[in-house]
Amino acid sequence: MRNPFSARQRARLRAFFGKPANIILVTFCIVLCVLTLYPLILLLLETITVHAGKEVRATKLAAGDFSLYSLEKIFATSKNAYSKLTFYEPLFNTLAVALTASLIAILFGGVVAWLITRTNLKYKKFISTVFVFPYIMPAWTLATFWQTFFKNVNVGAGTSNGIMASVFGIYMPEWFVYGYFPISLVLGLHYAPFAYILIGGILRNMDANLEEAATILKTPRWRVMLRITLPIVKPALLSTLLLVFASSMSAYSVPIFLGSPVRYYVLSTKMMSLINNYPGQGYIIAAVMIIFGVTILAVNQKITGSRKSYTTVTGKSSQISLVNLRRFNRPIAVCLTILMVLVAVVPLITFALESVIIKAGDYTLSNMTLDFWIGRNLNYLDQGDSTGILLSAKVLKALGFSLLLAITCSVVAGTSGVLVGYGIVKRRGSKLATAVSNLSFFPYLMPSLAFGAIYLAMSTRVPGLQGFAVLALIGSVKYLPFASRSGVNAMLQLSGEIEEAAVIVGVPWYKRMLRILFPIQKSSFLSGYLLPMVSCMRELSLFVLLVPTSNTLLTTMLMQYSEKGWAQFGNAINLLIIVVVLIVNFAVNKLTGASIDKGVGG
Amino acid sequence: MKKLISLLLALTMVFASCSLALGESVAELAKAAESMTHEELVEKAMAEEGTFTVYGNTSRIVTAAENFAALYNIPFAGSNLKDSEIYTKLETEISGGAKGADMVMIQDGASLQDIAIAGGYLINFVPASVKANIAEGDQNPLIHQFINKVFIWNNLGDNVPAITNVWQLTEPQFKGNIVFKAPDAEQVNMNFLVMLTNEEWSGKLAEAYKNLYGKDIDLGDYENAGYKWIAEFLSNCVFGNSDTTLAEEVSQETAQGKIGLFVLSKLRSSSVYTENLTVGQYQATASGTAIEPFSGFMYPMYAMLSANASRPYTAMLFIEYLMGTDGFKPWGKSIGAYSSNSEIVPLEGDLSLDVWKQTLVMEDPEYILENYEDVYSFVNMFLQ
Amino acid sequence: MPEIILKNVTKRFGKFVAVDNLNLTIPTRSFITLLGPSGCGKTTTLRMIAGLETPTEGEILIDGVTVFSSEKGINIPPNKRDVGFLFQNYALWPHMTVYQNIAFGLENLKWDKARIRERVKELLAMLKIEEFEKRYPSELSGGQQQRVAIARTLAPNPKVLFMDEPLSNLDAKLRTEMRTELKRLHIDTDSTFVYVTHDQLEAMTLSTKVCLMEKGLLQQYAAPLEMYLRPANLFVADFMGSPTMNFLKGRAEKTGENTCEVSFCGLKRTFTAAKPLGELPESVTLGVRPEFITICQDSDVKAKVYSTLPAGMETTVKLQLGGEIITSVIFGSVDFEIDSEVSLAFHGRDMLLYNGETGALMADGSL
Repeated sequence: MRNPFSARQRARLRAFFGKPANIILVTFCIVLCVLTLYPLILLLLETITVHAGKEVRATKLAAGDFSLYSLEKIFATSKNAYSKLTFYEPLFNTLAVALTASLIAILFGGVVAWLITRTNLKYKKFISTVFVFPYIMPAWTLATFWQTFFKNVNVGAGTSNGIMASVFGIYMPEWFVYGYFPISLVLGLHYAPFAYILIGGILRNMDANLEEAATILKTPRWRVMLRITLPIVKPALLSTLLLVFASSMSAYSVPIFLGSPVRYYVLSTKMMSLINNYPGQGYIIAAVMIIFGVTILAVNQKITGSRKSYTTVTGKSSQISLVNLRRFNRPIAVCLTILMVLVAVVPLITFALESVIIKAGDYTLSNMTLDFWIGRNLNYLDQGDSTGILLSAKVLKALGFSLLLAITCSVVAGTSGVLVGYGIVKRRGSKLATAVSNLSFFPYLMPSLAFGAIYLAMSTRVPGLQGFAVLALIGSVKYLPFASRSGVNAMLQLSGEIEEAAVIVGVPWYKRMLRILFPIQKSSFLSGYLLPMVSCMRELSLFVLLVPTSNTLLTTMLMQYSEKGWAQFGNAINLLIIVVVLIVNFAVNKLTGASIDKGVGG
Repeated sequence: MKKLISLLLALTMVFASCSLALGESVAELAKAAESMTHEELVEKAMAEEGTFTVYGNTSRIVTAAENFAALYNIPFAGSNLKDSEIYTKLETEISGGAKGADMVMIQDGASLQDIAIAGGYLINFVPASVKANIAEGDQNPLIHQFINKVFIWNNLGDNVPAITNVWQLTEPQFKGNIVFKAPDAEQVNMNFLVMLTNEEWSGKLAEAYKNLYGKDIDLGDYENAGYKWIAEFLSNCVFGNSDTTLAEEVSQETAQGKIGLFVLSKLRSSSVYTENLTVGQYQATASGTAIEPFSGFMYPMYAMLSANASRPYTAMLFIEYLMGTDGFKPWGKSIGAYSSNSEIVPLEGDLSLDVWKQTLVMEDPEYILENYEDVYSFVNMFLQ
Repeated sequence: MPEIILKNVTKRFGKFVAVDNLNLTIPTRSFITLLGPSGCGKTTTLRMIAGLETPTEGEILIDGVTVFSSEKGINIPPNKRDVGFLFQNYALWPHMTVYQNIAFGLENLKWDKARIRERVKELLAMLKIEEFEKRYPSELSGGQQQRVAIARTLAPNPKVLFMDEPLSNLDAKLRTEMRTELKRLHIDTDSTFVYVTHDQLEAMTLSTKVCLMEKGLLQQYAAPLEMYLRPANLFVADFMGSPTMNFLKGRAEKTGENTCEVSFCGLKRTFTAAKPLGELPESVTLGVRPEFITICQDSDVKAKVYSTLPAGMETTVKLQLGGEIITSVIFGSVDFEIDSEVSLAFHGRDMLLYNGETGALMADGSL
């Protein structure tokens, strides 16, 4: 057979694939197309497909036929105000919640970042350590805490009082307990650490000379802040705003806990309720969410792209003169500490408390038992399990399975992240690198539930892609954005010469990665392993459809228990998940220096 | 790009066409096994290999299956999922030719009819040994038991909501005092509402209205009395996410004047103050009165073979076991579950299935399917 | 022995042409400097020879072996080219000690342990950094890091050594010191050095031949002194030498085979070329090195002292002549009073006549 390529072309190809970065990029480009674009196309097809069941009845078509029924139904049905109630109102709620949440996150996270990096605030260490807690803990932690704390007989389906009402006798109004306000607030608090990490990173790297130059010119402090500091961190602020916006937009667990009791719908919860009877409409909502996400991503890229003009990262500026907070120092520090305790510690205590009381709402000692943790023969409770969770084979098996899955995903996603980061940075600016960079970020925008549904469909078509394999695959793909981000960050901090110095002496590629690049940026790279692991431990909606019959995850178990209303077991498992996540996080942090901050890109 | 998409489409088609119906063999086996004796089933089941897998939307099916697996020493795995998740899983697993469940226990007759049976995913099987004890109408698809959701109220204080007519619930004083699991969160609740719009129940509701207020119902823009009741009832409701929680909450001392429509069997939970609750129908039966025109609703739980069962005979044996006294034990120990096997009588203190059937709204899958979309979008207006 | 030949080498990054059709022969044992302003393509050229960058087109030979050819599809990886590379930022591996940094490359070449030990010791001694053997790079000063980097580069005995602005991160004193060492090293190692810098003084003092580039194009390739005295065009003339050459714009009129009359700064002079003159364009630029303008007791050229910068060994005097500022350097420290009037003289045979339009050198001679 004649070779279709000329010698020259062959040489070019050989030269192209002679570089490991190119091999990595091409491989990931193909793999990610299959794992993200293909699902996306499937999802888009689903929006115009007639599904068995109610859709078939409504359209009088056969299942699998194409029809615009779902589109028409969800976008343009005025009967019973259907479109308004099903799509436009939830859309409006989503945007309102996401916007408020991101503003809260930016404001709170930004102010704390400034206090920590630029002032002589007291208790810095405690505040900065605890401040990232809400981000490490599952988002529903704060939501369920809010609910158990503030619920009372006057609001929602409330017929029992939470701690606030039963212990302190204070009955909060409905807008405070459920709906727009608490959802925005809880999401804002959950993502505030994210803003804190991003903005803090910029503030820390910003050359203090820029501010000092203004101070020398006799500019008052507040003016320096307003005219110099803020404008310089503005692109970072905007970029953070967009990322938090995108995250809160697709949040599911918080609105389900705090919105559904008063029927406050956002797109994600509406999608969930539609996807059973009218999958077409559910997928359309998913597609709308993806479109929003992609738009946000594009805007963000434009902003960070033009950020080059701000040379904020000018190495370590030698001396940062800290703002003296003087008499405000202690009050601010105390307030922040109390707030941090409220947000990060009190929920855990609440869960612990709720997991030991037998009948809800009665916080007397006689109503308490440790049976839900370490009891045996609990059949009298009739709550699903007959042993306390620490002794239950079921729970321990689920814990093991959750950990195994989390570790697998973190290894796969983390390693891919390192490779992708290497490839992207080495070939920075090339079309291929940009494509892979975008592809690897794309899963971030996919609503978890829809992503899971599509992977379920995919898994049945690929032999061997069942059970653990498909869970590990989807987890790795979904969390690749975090990992590749920290991979890129880690590589960007390394000058290319470090590797070339080894190339010259003929060190093979794998050895360069293992012996030179990885050891130098160990903690940054490992941070890329940490975030997928932590996220995986607390993930629910992504996995729920894919969890194999023989094995449950802790989170699916938690959902099942809370659905059945087995509150004590549920709270105990919830606490178990949070504690495991925190332990993993701090163990990895202490052992390797990797941290969530580095992973996010501080 | 266009080429790429068409290539992907082609690939999808190839994958899709690979997944042919393989249910026929299980269906045939089931047909042939309908005349088998218990011993024959045991023999066939013991010859099968692999893990026996059950999907169910109650926790107690898992308990039953565990007992069964222990009895015959069979490796077993059970999944307690939401009914909607079960349908999704069945659909994708079977059409994709993947291994899934052997046996499924599920509610929501409408979806069962239209998705699982029409799609050939679930196969009916009635064991010969119990056939005689099951009413003809409950045999295809085979109903394992009935579950009821009834009006239950808090009996403390001086404003006990002891209703005698469901129209009372539409009155202003009930605003915010009725708890009900959101109909879009559980299919059977929506099915109940759909049933109220049919001729029979809308007629009965109109009659009940007249009995209560002594005048004919003024429908206004509503299509019939069913729609009117739904609208006014839901407007007074607050919605919960779990029947257990609802039961717990209504039983609280603080919940005076509250009434709920939830699963009767939830009274079994240790976290419910049972003594604070009154079951409407119990009181009505005891006092020889009634709640007009219904005191709640009832829906069947079906037991079926999965079309891709890898242990079909074990599944059949399990269904036979479930239909018997031993298999019903996980449910039989508390109120609110009613076997379709006439030999298994309800717990003492509970009412018989026949009594319930007369006073509760039952599901008619065909009617539900035909009218679902209209009622769903109507109900949707009162959910937010 | 290693002779490096570049044939029609071009490197494009997208639409941007970094190196344009470069032809260069680097003789054995020479010390070649690639000089030019930043972004001129000098580093790219160096990296292409080393194999760290792939040329878009062209051919590169090292020691008679084609290491790259776009025609023949040859591209030998850097480690097979037997070259050493000294990086601008040293690129020391921060997680390895000095010893490990130097030994790592040798381990890769599968040297045995004893031989590595011996070679590292030798290098440590050669670069006078024995006492730092166990230290990590971050514990060393800039100059010490530089020495470690050089030791690491020299370790495998490369026949060609590439250096990319190796001294730019050092302070002035250290830089001078290292220059001496590098020149010494060139002799001691008996290898070919290719050196990239943007500092013309470094290029002048170190190299046997300088290759000056601008915007990817080769401007001149010559020995340092030749480049200094006979810059091929205005760019080279401007780039080489500090303070820079005086460029006096004017008009020329041919008066004989070797002579022409040049008018500039209100003066009219006869330029006598060393070789016969060709066609002359209307506008010319006269290039005069500052040291060829002397301040004398009495002449017909009067100028006003604009400012004076005595540096001890020499004094730079800025003079106002016919509306233009020209520079003169005189030996010794002489302080002139600002705004005083002095007399000038142009002396020597190194006056240069450039084409005013193209900037090309037309002739050298005297005024």
